[in-house]
Amino acid sequence: MKPQGDGSFDRFSTAMSFIHLRVASAFSMKYGTTQPDDLVERARQHGAPALALTDRASLSGAIRFTKACVAHGIAPIIGINLPIEITPKDKSYPRVTVLAHGDGGWPHLVRFLTGLHMNKGDGELRITTDLLEKFSVHSTQLHLLHGPQSPLSYELAAHRADKALDLFNLTREFFADHAIECVSHLIAGNGPGSTAHAARSLIFARDHDIDAVITNAVRMRDPSDGPIADLLDCARQLVPLDYRHIERRNNQAYLKNSDEMTQVATEIARAAGEGTPRALLKTTREWAERALLSPQRDIGLGGIHLPEPHIVGATSQSSMRTLLRSRVEAGIHQRYSANKDVKAARIRLDDELATVASLGYESYFLTVADIAQMARDKGIRVAARGSGAGSLICHLLGISGVDPMRHGLLMERFCSPLRAALPDIDIDVESDRRLEIYEMVFNRYGSPSLHLPGAISRAATVAMFDTYRARHAIRDTGAALGLPAAEIDLLAKAMPHVRARNIQAVLQSLPELKTLNTSAPLMAMTVSLAQELDGLPRHLAMHPCAVVLSDGGLLDRIPLHINAGGYPMVEFDKDDVEDIGLLKLDILGVRMQSTLAYAVSEIEKIEEKKIDLDAISLDDEKTYQLIQSTRTLGIFQIESPGQRELVGKLNPRTFNDLIIDISLFRPGPVKSDMISPFLHSRHGFTAADVIHPDLAPILAETEGVVVFHEQVISIIATMTGISLASADEKRRGLGDKQSQQEVCDWFFPAATQKGYPLDVITKVWEILRAFASFGFCKAHAAAFALPTYQSAWLKTHYPAEFIAGVLTHDPGMYPRRLILDEARQMGITLAPLDVNKSDASYRVECDGGKKSIRIALSSIAGISDHEIASIMQARPYIDMADFVARSGASTPITESLILTGGFDELHSLHTGDINHRDLLLHLSDIEKSHSVKSIKKGTSGAQMTFGFTPPALISSGLPNITTNERVRHEVQRLGMDITHHMLEFYAPFLNAIGAVRSCDLLAQRSGSDLLVAGVKVALQTPPIRSGRRVIFLTLDDGYGCSDSTFFSDVQSSSAGLLYSTSLILVRGVTRRTGDRGISIRATGAWDLSEAYGKWQSSKVAI
Amino acid sequence: MDAMATPIEFTFKGKRFRIHAVLSRWCEAGGWWNRVSDGRYRPDDGARALWTVEAAPIGALATFEIERDEATGRWLIRSI
Repeated sequence: MKPQGDGSFDRFSTAMSFIHLRVASAFSMKYGTTQPDDLVERARQHGAPALALTDRASLSGAIRFTKACVAHGIAPIIGINLPIEITPKDKSYPRVTVLAHGDGGWPHLVRFLTGLHMNKGDGELRITTDLLEKFSVHSTQLHLLHGPQSPLSYELAAHRADKALDLFNLTREFFADHAIECVSHLIAGNGPGSTAHAARSLIFARDHDIDAVITNAVRMRDPSDGPIADLLDCARQLVPLDYRHIERRNNQAYLKNSDEMTQVATEIARAAGEGTPRALLKTTREWAERALLSPQRDIGLGGIHLPEPHIVGATSQSSMRTLLRSRVEAGIHQRYSANKDVKAARIRLDDELATVASLGYESYFLTVADIAQMARDKGIRVAARGSGAGSLICHLLGISGVDPMRHGLLMERFCSPLRAALPDIDIDVESDRRLEIYEMVFNRYGSPSLHLPGAISRAATVAMFDTYRARHAIRDTGAALGLPAAEIDLLAKAMPHVRARNIQAVLQSLPELKTLNTSAPLMAMTVSLAQELDGLPRHLAMHPCAVVLSDGGLLDRIPLHINAGGYPMVEFDKDDVEDIGLLKLDILGVRMQSTLAYAVSEIEKIEEKKIDLDAISLDDEKTYQLIQSTRTLGIFQIESPGQRELVGKLNPRTFNDLIIDISLFRPGPVKSDMISPFLHSRHGFTAADVIHPDLAPILAETEGVVVFHEQVISIIATMTGISLASADEKRRGLGDKQSQQEVCDWFFPAATQKGYPLDVITKVWEILRAFASFGFCKAHAAAFALPTYQSAWLKTHYPAEFIAGVLTHDPGMYPRRLILDEARQMGITLAPLDVNKSDASYRVECDGGKKSIRIALSSIAGISDHEIASIMQARPYIDMADFVARSGASTPITESLILTGGFDELHSLHTGDINHRDLLLHLSDIEKSHSVKSIKKGTSGAQMTFGFTPPALISSGLPNITTNERVRHEVQRLGMDITHHMLEFYAPFLNAIGAVRSCDLLAQRSGSDLLVAGVKVALQTPPIRSGRRVIFLTLDDGYGCSDSTFFSDVQSSSAGLLYSTSLILVRGVTRRTGDRGISIRATGAWDLSEAYGKWQSSKVAI
Repeated sequence: MDAMATPIEFTFKGKRFRIHAVLSRWCEAGGWWNRVSDGRYRPDDGARALWTVEAAPIGALATFEIERDEATGRWLIRSI
């Protein structure tokens, strides 16, 4: 065959390049195959001056699409492809496309989509005649395309041109303009998507004097993306691959170039009896030009939209400035008393306020302060996180608790006139009350009438694009291809949380999967196609903590819908909202804050005094002693084995030491060994090297080692004389290779000019270059150090209340049983469960000055919140029968309560007359008598006791359950051992074999061969680049914790055991890691109970 | 084959045909999931372009050269 080009196409393509008006990106979730920026890049390669994005029922890709357009120098056109129901139809709705026109159509497009979302009720999002009437103020600013999937098109396909015209007229008055969209995907036959149908649509348009445009209804970038489109069709509908379930019939729905589109246009025009496609292409071009949007003016890239003055209690921009100043001035006198401090604060404040004024960010600070204040007024703990702690304004407004002046924190690191981006303030709040803050924010800044046109709201939650990663990609691909469910499961579960594109690589590196035959055709196809889904968005989720705040024009810029949690949510993610200048506030729920609040409330109850944690002195000697002792379990940030080791070496004596400790404990400093030089000079082994006297004040606090960003900034500013704000820009430049060279070229002459000798400059530069990328923002660390100190202070002075808080809110990395153990070792009594005394949470009880912690009802495995509430409500109980009758607890829960001592006090078990076994028998008697009397469930508790004589509780004479059984029940039913430590049972055995208690480990010499035993507390396998994994095991033996390391040589014999067993005996060689640190390199491991069994039988044999 | 190309002639059962008119053209693809055999990176999508055409054999009237070898007596037909 000889191919031959048709000369007539070329004339057009050179004259005018084609602009696509219908393009679905990957943000048409589980429909489009290509990311917006890849589409834009391809359009630019085609020489297109513009490209449209018309995703299905979504604008989620709009901001990144627009940014890509800016980057590639083409103009964006944005629309939405929407389901429509204007005549009663079957459940798969036909679809039309609306486009924003370039004369201010964008806000209307956004509001139209929000309107549809807010009024969809429980059904699917769609256009209805009612909604068109309701939102005509917006729809009449939009252009409508009747495409091949439109109701009109289906009528044309059925040769009912008159009905098609009726439909056209039905929507006519609701939109600014209309066009018939002619699409030929070169499908066989004459239905929608065929050239014949496109031609019929064109003829219809000509007959009724309607504009006709040509598009390619694009859903992929290349013809070869077809299989991905099929997979997405199946994943969307949860069906296997079959012609019935997939939309495409060929591979033509791709982003064609101008020549290809002109050819299609020619064929359509000829089939419609027009000599040339010129008119069709010309109208298409005109429609595109009318819909071009300005990235800045329309979409709002680069703008900033903060809440208006009247929202924060001012009348104008300038009165807002006055308001901010008076608020912070008031703060000065609250926080500082010494004359010199007040003066210094004033000077710094003037600087900071000037920066804020020049940027116009007053509203930003006032809004965040307002939210922090609202939370505090409700008694919710609030703490700032991140670089915001560097601002004195934040401190004085009560957003941040750390004093930036005292700890050398810099405002410039947080907010500078040289950076256009809005600064980032994150606030930490109590995790269990976070949603209360959401409610307050939406009450104050949101709108109750989002379902009406013209609604005004200033707040919303932010979306997060959940994208295809390895597991989901395998599951969806495998299901579509019909891979057996068991194989899908095996493969997906084995996958770590990696990108989908790395599946193949992971398969090769995981020994567990070696047995899987991944070269079987179906399996191999699943893997290779799953990799193709990499990064495609699959679901819109709510960002876990971000809230966006703006002015009254918010709804003109962002589409909202109500998410699963019932909150209004922007369809954009956090980067998108930042790109269009909306204030994004992260409100993070932090369990430690809940723990602190809980401890304070328990103290108030027991000691009858109110403690203001934010006002305690940061110089408490006893608190630092506790930290130095490394008994830091439960304390924020410093409870991990690694941190305990570091704290032991570093011996923090001041709050600043805590800041340094937290900054040093990160992968960067650990890897580059910043820690040893610091510790050496700290302990006086080597003198601190500050290089030059000018740098002494900057580097003294960290013994000459550069640890903080703030130090880098100060060094650059000191040695070159530039401002701190400019120095921060230089610091940012140190991050990547190219700009680092630029900074270098500038730094040497600038420092030389200030009179520094070359050797000093070279030395400083080497340090800056080496450490800048590892440095940590001191404000960040300081913000973290505050709850660290507060929790340590509570643990020092109110251990019972603090541990009750830790048990209740579970803020840390350790299981509850280890925390209980810590309580026991601190001399705090653990009061057992008691149906009449235990609360939902862990309460501190005080009996004659001795404090104990009462185990909470919530600790029982399987108990529901509802059961807890009903047990507590019907208290007190006079006996077990009463409890069974009125508490509403299920039988398994009642059993658990019996076996864990919940009735011990009620039935005076300590006298020995009856025991747990008797109680269990009694329970079954009660249950039996219940079923005989067939008392109906649901009648109220009080009535049930009436006329009901419980069977008598008598001693059966059976022996009580043993201590060992008791502990086993506790572990099974509560997940922790309360009455005895699990290991007590093995004490004779462990003594006999000479196992070392963890509290005695430190007394062992380095390199000694020994045995340790315990309950598995933590098992970590950090990913190692070499692929050889290392397993870290932490065991608790009732005397503390021991840490053992398993290298690959011992893993083959012990890895399985480590994962499957919880009571473990380890043999190993010790290695000292510091004054208070010792770790064990394991040489073997055994199941403790098995070893015990063998020992027992050997004893018998002897 | 280039998507822009339209065939103009073909050989069918030993006869060459010239295409006089394209009556319709269309494209097909898909069904790759029924051809999973070797787990290749790209599934076999079976993309194809199709035409229905009016065509007639080429050379209804043509000039040939006929030759006889005098030594062996064999005939040769050579088209010009």
